[in-house]
Amino acid sequence: MTTGLTKNDIASTRLIVGLEIHVELSTRSKMFTRAANPACPEFENAEPNTLVDPLVAALPGSLPVMNRRAVEMSAMVGMALGCSIAEHAKWDRKNYAYPDLPKGYQISQYDLPLCFDGAIDIPSASPGADGGMRRIGITRAHLEEDTGKLSHELPGGIRYSGSLVDLNRAGTPLLEIVTEPDFDCAEDVVTFARELRSLCRFLGVTEGVMQKGHMRFEPNINLVIDTTDGREFRTPVVEIKNLNSFRAVDGAIRHETERQLDEFLSTGRVMGMGMKQTRGWDDERLVTVLQREKEDAHDYRYFPDPDLVPVEMDEAWKGRIRESIPELPIARRSRYREEFGLPEKDAFALIDDQGLCRFFERTVDAQLAATNPPSLREAGHESAKLLLNQMAKRANESGIVAHEIGITAEQVGELLALRRSGEIPTQAIDRLLKLASESPLSVVALAEANDLLVVRDEGAIEGWLAEAVVAQPKAAEDVRNGKDAALGRLVGAVMKASGGQADAKDVRDRLLAMLRD
Amino acid sequence: MTSSDSNSAPTLADVAKVAALSRLALDPDALDSARGDLLAILQHVANLQTLDVEGVEPMPKPQDTVNRLAEDVPGPSLDRDVLLAMAPKTEGHFIAVPKVLGEGGA
Repeated sequence: MTTGLTKNDIASTRLIVGLEIHVELSTRSKMFTRAANPACPEFENAEPNTLVDPLVAALPGSLPVMNRRAVEMSAMVGMALGCSIAEHAKWDRKNYAYPDLPKGYQISQYDLPLCFDGAIDIPSASPGADGGMRRIGITRAHLEEDTGKLSHELPGGIRYSGSLVDLNRAGTPLLEIVTEPDFDCAEDVVTFARELRSLCRFLGVTEGVMQKGHMRFEPNINLVIDTTDGREFRTPVVEIKNLNSFRAVDGAIRHETERQLDEFLSTGRVMGMGMKQTRGWDDERLVTVLQREKEDAHDYRYFPDPDLVPVEMDEAWKGRIRESIPELPIARRSRYREEFGLPEKDAFALIDDQGLCRFFERTVDAQLAATNPPSLREAGHESAKLLLNQMAKRANESGIVAHEIGITAEQVGELLALRRSGEIPTQAIDRLLKLASESPLSVVALAEANDLLVVRDEGAIEGWLAEAVVAQPKAAEDVRNGKDAALGRLVGAVMKASGGQADAKDVRDRLLAMLRD
Repeated sequence: MTSSDSNSAPTLADVAKVAALSRLALDPDALDSARGDLLAILQHVANLQTLDVEGVEPMPKPQDTVNRLAEDVPGPSLDRDVLLAMAPKTEGHFIAVPKVLGEGGA
């Protein structure tokens, strides 16, 4: 069948996308048994098939018991997404035979999910967005267990002709979040995906490392096509499986937008003709590809799991979980922009890690508690700059996060106070960070003990200036003749002569006054 | 089962489909015998469905227990050699199975 239509007959197309997201929770043990969980950093490097106990291996006589922490983490995410939390949730078996699933079924939640009916507002790139924001509905978020992993390569990259099963991941708690089909552009889906990752990381429920598959995205995509003669067509929904990078999410949606229009023009297939198609993403060719599957593979024959009792969350339990939820990333970022005047990029970087973000706020408090405190805006700005530049650089060298280098928030406050009052030269900051990270002493004491305070002795400064002019006669002459570029060499010579104890800006001003007046 | 939804008896083709989903290779005799078993089970369920359950709460479990939860504390794993010894075939530290690319579920 063909439509007889060409691209010239298309008045407009509208994209419709809903998203399913799988989040591996970073509990220490698995969803229904106490074998260790490889999505927890403690166990992520475990050897293949070493995180397997009788339940994971589906040995007779083993019975599942649900993980309290996984249930609480899921409710926490649900609450943060504005969901209602079920008073009564149950477990169902989703039956299918596959080697990564020894039991022959996955335990999931079919008709009574833990969380449902939520929404979050995200910044939107869509022309139709209200005030630059768009509300994305959350249909449900339910808990289930992950499967094992199949691979086709032996260690060392040797190709294996069959499939190799590693059951470490089998049974890892998996939170599946399903949105309403509320997206109409790829940019918004990516924004949502990033916000969700930020939220889940901030709540501490997942490590959120995309390359490790901690978060996997599955967009459901179709188009509404309006023709110039006033007809409307809807293309069949296509599900793209297992995308594990934001780039892949973006690429797959953009490619599908074009492919579905082309396919509609050539085949005329519209929604309701045949079953939902499943495609994968080819990261090298940047196209989606049809996945080979049995037509009836989706006949999962769900039924209530007789081995597990339901979860009932009373108000007291919900209340305790709700209280443990901190101010969330979107709200916090907007506060950082308003209170501290931080650029979006810096606010995002600080909120990427809850520990870093809390440390940042403590350093701001430490600055504000000083004798001559800066303004709130200035304090936030200075703390952010130090954490995201010098401290982050030092932390990166050891593969840790800025707040983990061993320096306290109070020491950061003192360091920034010293810099503000001009008592330490800028170039002493790195040195003081290193000293403070190794010592509990106050930064003032460390600066004094290591001769890092700016020297205010007029005689000494005049002596260093004279010494520099003698050592760099050409540069001095150039400065006299109005060449500012030559100043740097003279300032450098003074700093060297002072052993770093002169204030570079002060030296620059003095040199100019001396050579130009 | 799809056929029970329409109240019609499962055909041999239905039984073959369920067997395939369960990865069971059944010869024609076994298919026929399985169909007989399924018919008996469905007939039993059909009998149950004639009962008047108006006003009776569904009871998916024999007891009312809820919230049996374990604390999130890792316990021991099976010794890998013990696990691998149970597999029909292994390769290195993995369980080896015939290639299954592209099929299966979630």
